[in-house]
Amino acid sequence: MRPIYRMVSEPIAPEEVIREVTSRADGAIATFAGVVRDHHRERQVDHLEYHAYPEMAAEELERIAVELGTRYGVSGLGLVHRTGTLAVGEMAVLVVAAAPHRREALDCCAAAIEAIKSRLPVWKKEFFAGTTEPEWVFGPEELCASGAEQSRVEGSGSGG
Amino acid sequence: MKVGIRYFALVAEVAGREGETLELAAGATVADALQRVTEQYPRLAAAGFRPLVAVNRRHAGEDSSLAEGDELAVFPPVSGG
Repeated sequence: MRPIYRMVSEPIAPEEVIREVTSRADGAIATFAGVVRDHHRERQVDHLEYHAYPEMAAEELERIAVELGTRYGVSGLGLVHRTGTLAVGEMAVLVVAAAPHRREALDCCAAAIEAIKSRLPVWKKEFFAGTTEPEWVFGPEELCASGAEQSRVEGSGSGG
Repeated sequence: MKVGIRYFALVAEVAGREGETLELAAGATVADALQRVTEQYPRLAAAGFRPLVAVNRRHAGEDSSLAEGDELAVFPPVSGG
């Protein structure tokens, strides 16, 4: 299983990640891209800032890639998350799962974005059109608690 | 024992700093460290969430015990992806 995982501060290049993750034995490539949308609830979004705990984000992304790629039996799993200031339409996160057949690739791709959203130490701050104050977005606590639990139970070594 | 503690996102804004060193009793747990932090920065309680904690770059439960030199991090529920 080929895990690819990185935190970046430059625009994500999906074709490059697909090339790294996929082999000639793979008949299925499942991808998910999270992009900045132009609204949050009723308000118009101007841009987002993504902030990370960089050392932990790098390690947690690796753990997610190795755990889920192995669990779902895919041949390659690529996870890339971008930090910094992102405009509407820019890609914040990319998941690419490659496997001989589609079931494993699709299931792994779906599980990977859920794991990223519940476990990765990244926070987004929304900046709205006009003069409204920017706001941090919090994930729901129950989601984070279960993600954290999953991370502790599955990880080896200290800290839990 | 001394542990390092780092703050992120809204927790760092409320604390007005990105990190510091905490002196804790031997055998202290994550819950003890969190209690110290919320006492030191009471505005955290009004922030609208229970902070999460990582120890040595892994998510940790409040009953996890700490050791000299551990790196703690306190932050809001994550919102990446």
